[in-house]
Amino acid sequence: MSDLYLIFKNLTRRKLRLSLTLFAIFVAFLIFGVLSSFNKAFNSGIELSADDRMVVVNKINFTQPLPIAYVNKARAIEGIDVLTWCNWFGGYYQDPKNFVAAMACDAETLLDVYPEIVLPEDQKKAFMANRQGLIAGQSIAAKYGWKVGDRIPMNSNIFSQKTGGSAWDFDVEGIYTGSTEQFDTNSVYFHYKYFDESRSFGKDFAGWLILRTTDPALNDQVANTIDTMFANSFYETSTDSEKAFNKAFIAQIGNIAMIVTSVVGAAFFTILLIVGNTMVLAIRERTGEIAVMKTLGFPAARIFKLVLGESLLLSLIGGLLGIGAAWLIIGAMKAALAGILPTLVLTPDVALTALAIMVGLGFLTGIVPALSAHRLNIITAMSRQ
Amino acid sequence: MGSLISQINAVVAMNVKSLPQRAWMSAATVFAVAIVVAVLLAFLAMANGFQATVAGTGARDVAIAMRQGAQAEVNSVLMKEQVDLLSAGPGIAKNETGPIVSAELYVIVDGIKKASDTKANLPLRGLSEAGMKMRGDLKIIEGRMFQPGTNELIVGVGALKEFEGFELGRELTFARSRWTVVGVFSMDGKVAESELWADIGSVQSLFQRGNSFQTVRLKLDDPAALEQLKAYNEADPRLKLDIKSEADYFADQASGMSDLIMYLGWPLGIAMAFGALAGALNTMYTSVASRAREIATLRAIGFGGTAAFVGTLAESMVLALLGGLIGAIAAFLFFDGITASTLGGSFTQVVFSFKLSPALIWQAAVLALIIGFIGGVFPAWRAARLPVVVAFRAA
Amino acid sequence: MTENLFELKKVSKSFVKAKETISIFEGLDMTIKAGDFIAIMGPSGSGKTTLLNLLGGVDQPTSGEIHFDGKRIDNLSENGLAAWRAANVGFIFQFYNLMPMLSAAKNVELPLLLTGLGRSRRKASVEAALKLVGLDDRAGHLPKEMSGGQQQRVAIARAIVSDPKLMLCDEPTGDLDRATADEILKMLQLLNREFGKTIVMVTHDPEAAKYAKKTLHLDKGEFVKEELMA
Ligand SMILES: Nc1ncnc2c1ncn2[C@@H]1O[C@H](COP(=O)(O)OP(=O)(O)O)[C@@H](O)[C@H]1O
Ligand SMILES: [Mg+2]
Repeated sequence: MSDLYLIFKNLTRRKLRLSLTLFAIFVAFLIFGVLSSFNKAFNSGIELSADDRMVVVNKINFTQPLPIAYVNKARAIEGIDVLTWCNWFGGYYQDPKNFVAAMACDAETLLDVYPEIVLPEDQKKAFMANRQGLIAGQSIAAKYGWKVGDRIPMNSNIFSQKTGGSAWDFDVEGIYTGSTEQFDTNSVYFHYKYFDESRSFGKDFAGWLILRTTDPALNDQVANTIDTMFANSFYETSTDSEKAFNKAFIAQIGNIAMIVTSVVGAAFFTILLIVGNTMVLAIRERTGEIAVMKTLGFPAARIFKLVLGESLLLSLIGGLLGIGAAWLIIGAMKAALAGILPTLVLTPDVALTALAIMVGLGFLTGIVPALSAHRLNIITAMSRQ
Repeated sequence: MGSLISQINAVVAMNVKSLPQRAWMSAATVFAVAIVVAVLLAFLAMANGFQATVAGTGARDVAIAMRQGAQAEVNSVLMKEQVDLLSAGPGIAKNETGPIVSAELYVIVDGIKKASDTKANLPLRGLSEAGMKMRGDLKIIEGRMFQPGTNELIVGVGALKEFEGFELGRELTFARSRWTVVGVFSMDGKVAESELWADIGSVQSLFQRGNSFQTVRLKLDDPAALEQLKAYNEADPRLKLDIKSEADYFADQASGMSDLIMYLGWPLGIAMAFGALAGALNTMYTSVASRAREIATLRAIGFGGTAAFVGTLAESMVLALLGGLIGAIAAFLFFDGITASTLGGSFTQVVFSFKLSPALIWQAAVLALIIGFIGGVFPAWRAARLPVVVAFRAA
Repeated sequence: MTENLFELKKVSKSFVKAKETISIFEGLDMTIKAGDFIAIMGPSGSGKTTLLNLLGGVDQPTSGEIHFDGKRIDNLSENGLAAWRAANVGFIFQFYNLMPMLSAAKNVELPLLLTGLGRSRRKASVEAALKLVGLDDRAGHLPKEMSGGQQQRVAIARAIVSDPKLMLCDEPTGDLDRATADEILKMLQLLNREFGKTIVMVTHDPEAAKYAKKTLHLDKGEFVKEELMA
């Protein structure tokens, strides 16, 4: 028998109360795990952005175009390592409801700017060689059942072909994965050249330029040089780090972090009340037993540890079950939500935060009864019996 | 019957008297229920507010035409010829100048969202006199209407409130051209209040759109005339546009986001309700346990189990209802009427207000009562079946 | 075996209750020899439990000194007293006071958690103690699965498992029927005679007192009579 055994026996003596309390904790951590993962996924664009990557967009708004001539002008600027450009395609597959995040990019430079896109060497070569080639992320390819070698039509809800119609044909030349689990593999890239030559309007314009600087320290300088270069033109630019750009974009959806924090805070506050009260009650019921243990010679500090250990164990069991369930739920939702939140995973740091909260919760709910057990006077406790 | 009522009264009185002993436990339950109700109501008010703003925007007797597959105004492109062709179609209401149609441009410009101090997409709508007439509830509440052919614009109250830089008299620069905010408009809480409006010609030249448009709105003789117009559109290969009633268009635009909020709000509310239920059950079992001797004593002197049952259940329901009430009041004080903005279906910001309604509060109250009922019925059952011998046991 | 295990010198004990000071003992002197078996009798409220608490280091005198085995214990800190109790005293209570969630064996093992003994040594001690009280076949039972007499035997096993010199019993048979009480008392007597335990037992049952070597009568905080058994 060890102290842990004593703690466990104390904890499990009232099965119904234990299950109810565990369940309340379970629910709170389930909510925490799921919402935090959602929040993470929303913010993954910020977190995963590379320090040396920058985005150049039209100053009016990033949906407004930039002349393709800017590419060569910008490339000459010192401090830029590689530069590519893309145009939003507004894609859908077969039905307008089947949204596809498709972009027409410069195939030569795309993979240099995004080393996170992992593609087998032969697929890379094949994609470069075929101007109608397309590379699709693993998750979207799985969703629509695309395989390398397939020829697929894709529609645009914005552009139309010179020859009429809004459908383009592409050859799936590669299916890419991400260098990290969180990297978005729900996008599709194809050749800007093919797209630009065949579209009925907007020729020689790009949606945005993306570049990597030779050193993140040069970011501000490069941004200034670009924006000054095109100032007072009809197409003024706004250059930002990828991180700042993504941050602003996510903020457009709303203050998700605040919503998540509030809900999770409310959930934890609720269980703090419930579990805290239950612990106080449980220890109060055991006044006599604690007095007996003290009589037998158990020092106050050890009693304190036993009580605190009990609330910690309670919090840990409920919390780990909750986080485990959140992990299962997130895993199950990942496929279904790949279109909206391609980077949905319960990351280790969410789990670690949860662990810290479990310890905090265990401590907060246990400290009051632990202190009163610590202070418990044998004589008064025994005569109260 | 009368005796049952007095029995129940006696038990309830006993419960109430012993309540202070369990004050913290009971307060925790009340708060837990209050929090659940407040969180649920916050989400429902958000979904409801968004829904009311966006879905409430469209008229049944206005048709909106876009390029096939465009799905949202921002994606569409229409040529002047297509607009003219469609305007000649059947079922369109006419006035002295001809068919009532409004060809519009819908482009996105940057605004600074006050809440986050970051750039956000705002729609700049270019439209003509006819377009404004079509929107009956348009009101200029400050300043004046823009002059056709100038770089003047008016701003919706929502956009003004949530974004920086559109105050009356402010100068804006888009691509070397200077624009002035000359008026502020409201539109009965509709989604257009999140927009900037300017003359169609000025917007066309600013964005080099020549004589092209993005959407066309057509006033119909009556909602049923939409079918005629659709048939006309299908028959002409130069058209083949997507035509919907404005009401349907905005209902589609609203559904995604408000569904998302609902799908998030209800499961969260229910999950938290389960947590609170666990707390309520704990409280009520404790309540029964702490009154076991009293209950058993009453049973010993001839009280029925029903009184113990009803007394316990009533205690639980009262606690939950109290929590529900506090939660609803908190939700009303903190959430009702607050404005927020999010990215709408057209990839632009939609400003909306959280809106509580009696129906929503009723839904939350039902949830609270369910917590109270389930939280009370099992402990009440235990109370009703307490063996009488408990009364004679040593303390 | 004539050395003094306990020496109480001018021990006073008073309680402050609602601004009123109730004095229980005033300058009480007492000695207890090692290997003695003392029964303390007296009317309710005469201070029996208070005396036992002082002897057991659960309570401290208002003034005076208590020496145990030549060392003062009345001035020990709370933790010091706890350690002293764990090492030297076995307690037996009227209502057994077993931990309801622990089996008989685990209850007996409890005091051993305060020693540095390893698992196997603890196990051996627990088995020996349970065997001594005749409950080796009940090791796995929970308190609620045992009769009052059996529970008290488990409590005795718990009290002796760490082999203390002293056993303090407050009304150990107060909750038991005659036959069971006799069994328990015989067991205490055995522990006193065969194992040399010094036992102080509070009781108001004259039959129980007969098992002791001597009976002290306490009244209003003073010893009024001393009886030696045959
Ligand atoms: N903790 C205490 N506080 C105040 N009074 C006490 C306390 N403990 C005992 N007393 C009082 O001291 C007296 C002796 O009590 P006690 O030793 O328990 O008597 P006995 O065990 O002989 O019945 C009683 O009058 C009792 O009320
Ligand atoms: Mg006593």
